[in-house]
Amino acid sequence: MSLHTQFSNDGKQLIITIKGRFDFSLVQEFRQAYASVGSQQPLVIIDLRETEYLDSSALGMLLNMRKSLGNSIQGVNLINCRPEVRRILEISRFDKMFVIE
Amino acid sequence: MMRVLVVSAEAGHHPALAEMIGRFGHQVTVAHSGEQALQQAATALPDIVLLDVELPGMDGYETAPRLKSQADGIHLPIIFMTHLNDEQTLLRCLSVGGDDFLATPIEPIMLQAKLRSHFRLRELSRTLVEKNRSLAWHSARVQREHDIVEHILQNALSRNFLDYEHLQTYLSPATSFNGDLCLSASGPLGNLYVFMGDFTGHGLAPATGALPLSQAFFTMVERGVSVAEMAAEFNHRLAQLLPDDMFCAAFIAELSASGERLTYWNGGMPDALVLDQQQRLSKRLPASHMALGILADDDFDSRVTNLRLSAGMSLVLYTDGLIELHNSQQQSLSEQGLIDLLAAQPSLDIDRVVSAIEAFRGDTPQRDDVSLAILRCCATGIKEREPEYEHQGLPFQLQVDLTAAELRELDPVADVVQSLGQFRGIRDHRTTLYLLLAEAYNNALEHGILGLDSSLKEQHEGFERYYQLRQQRLATLEQAEISFQIRYLPQQACLHMNIRNSGSSWSPSVSARQQLATREYGRGLELMERLCDELALSDNGRCLSLVYSLNS
Repeated sequence: MSLHTQFSNDGKQLIITIKGRFDFSLVQEFRQAYASVGSQQPLVIIDLRETEYLDSSALGMLLNMRKSLGNSIQGVNLINCRPEVRRILEISRFDKMFVIE
Repeated sequence: MMRVLVVSAEAGHHPALAEMIGRFGHQVTVAHSGEQALQQAATALPDIVLLDVELPGMDGYETAPRLKSQADGIHLPIIFMTHLNDEQTLLRCLSVGGDDFLATPIEPIMLQAKLRSHFRLRELSRTLVEKNRSLAWHSARVQREHDIVEHILQNALSRNFLDYEHLQTYLSPATSFNGDLCLSASGPLGNLYVFMGDFTGHGLAPATGALPLSQAFFTMVERGVSVAEMAAEFNHRLAQLLPDDMFCAAFIAELSASGERLTYWNGGMPDALVLDQQQRLSKRLPASHMALGILADDDFDSRVTNLRLSAGMSLVLYTDGLIELHNSQQQSLSEQGLIDLLAAQPSLDIDRVVSAIEAFRGDTPQRDDVSLAILRCCATGIKEREPEYEHQGLPFQLQVDLTAAELRELDPVADVVQSLGQFRGIRDHRTTLYLLLAEAYNNALEHGILGLDSSLKEQHEGFERYYQLRQQRLATLEQAEISFQIRYLPQQACLHMNIRNSGSSWSPSVSARQQLATREYGRGLELMERLCDELALSDNGRCLSLVYSLNS
C-alpha cells in the first residue's frame, strides 16, 4: 500500500505517509485519507520519507487538501522530505503555505 | 562377572583362596609380589584386590596406593588380608588406602559378603565417573554453543550505533546473555532511531529474540521507515517467532535530523522521561500499547506520539530492571527515586548516573537485566546519505517509442526513470528526473495528443473533471505517438532529453506561466524550467527538449 493514514495516540495529529509514487493515481485515496480529520482540529502531517516520485499533480493535491480543510485543521506539516523532494517543494514556494521540516 | 586380583606371597594361602573365589563364579588372577600385582592389574583390570601386607620386595603398604592410582579414576576396593589382632597394622592399612580387612584364615561366607558389597561400591563409582564424564562433555558443548550464539549476537549487533556522540548507554545483563536490547542507528535523512526492548525472562532464550529484531531494525532504518511501520513489523515477526509466554516490551524512538521532533511508540515499557536542561522532569512518555509479540496484526496498534522538543532536552530510556533494583534495606529504586537521582546530578553523565545507581544498590545482587540510555536531543549532526558523485563513464542513449496502445495501457515514466537509475550517478537524481519526465510526458499526452485545456482545472471541481476527461479521451485513443529520446553525455555529466509527440501544435498559455503555488495547474512548466538547465519547445510545441546537469 502506498498511502497509509493514522492518527497519533492523542488524536491531535493525522499522519499520512506516502510511499513510492505520489501523483494523480492516489487522488481518491488521498482525499479519503484527509476526509476523516474529524472535529478535533488536528494537525495534518504528511510524511514523505519514502516518497520517491512526485509530479505537479501531487502538488495540486496538497493545495486542494489545504483549501478544502480550511479551518478544520491546525495546519499541514510536510515532514521527512528527501533533499530532492525538499528542493521541488521549495522551488514551488510550498514553504510559504506548509511547514516543511 | 567380577574380576578379583589376589596378591599373596608364594608360600601364602592363595591356592585355597583362588579356588574359593573361582567357586563363587568370579575370575581370579594371582600375583606373588607388589611389582607383579601392578603389572597384573594393568592387564587384568581387577574390580577388587585382596592384598597381603607382607610381600617380597615392595610390601602391601606400598603397593596399595600405587594400585589405587593406576585405577583410572574409578574406585578400586582394596581388602587387606591380616590377622586382625594388631591395631597398629590395621591403622596403617587404612592410612595407605585400604578399604577393608579380611581375617585369616578366611571364612568363605565373610569373603563372599565382602566381595559383593565392595563390588557394588565399585559399580556405583563406575556409574558416577561415567555420568561425570558425560556431564563434562555436555557442559563443554553448552559452553561452545553459548560462545557461538554470543559470536552471532555480537555480529548481529555490529552495526549498532551505540557510540553516537549524543547517546550514552549502560547495559548490565543479569546473566551472560542480555534479555534487554538497546539498538541505535541513523536513517537516510540524518534522523536517529533508538530502540530499547526487554524480553520476558533473562538468559539465552530471550537473547535469541534479539537476532530477528535487530536484523529487522537495521534493515528498516536503512530504508528510513516510520516508527509506526517499525512497530507493526517487529510485532508481526515476534508474534510469529516467539512462544506464547514470551514477548518483548519495547520503546521505539525517532529523533528528527533537526533534533526538534521526537516520534515514539511505547509498548509495555516503563515511562520514558524527558528532562529539561537542569535534568528536571519535563514530560513522561508512558506506554499506550501492549508489548511486541502478543497481538495479531489486525489487533495491533501502531499509533505513535509526536513530540516537539526544546534545546537541551534529554530523553531517558530504561528497562524495569533499573527501577526494581533493591538496596540493602530491600527498598526498590522506583521511578521517583530515579527521577530524584537524575535531578541531583550536576550533569547527565552516564558514568556519574551509574555510580549513583551502584551506590544505591550497594552489595544487593542484581536479579534482572538493567538497561539505561540517555539521548541528548539536539540536531543529530548526522549527514544525509551522500549522493553518488562518480558518474557513468560510457555515453549512452535511451529511446522509447510509444504508440496509442501503449499510451492507453501503460504508465511509462516511472519505468523510464527506473531504467535510467541503473546507471551510476543517476539514481540519486531519480526524483527530479521523474518530475521532469512526468511533466513533459503529461504535457505531451494531455495537451498535445488529448487536446485538454488546463484552464479547466481552475473551475469548481475542475481538477477531477480534468482527469475524468483525460481518462475518457485516453480510452478511445486510436492514433498517436510519444517518444522519449534521452542521451547521456559523460564529458558534461548531463542528460539531453527530447520528448516528442505526434499531436497538434501546442503552446503554453500565458496563465500557465503565472505565479506558482497559488494555482492548482500550470506549475508544471515553471517547475521544469527551474529544475533543469535548459528548456526549449520546438516543432510547434510538439517537441520539448531538456538539458539536465547531474552536477547541479
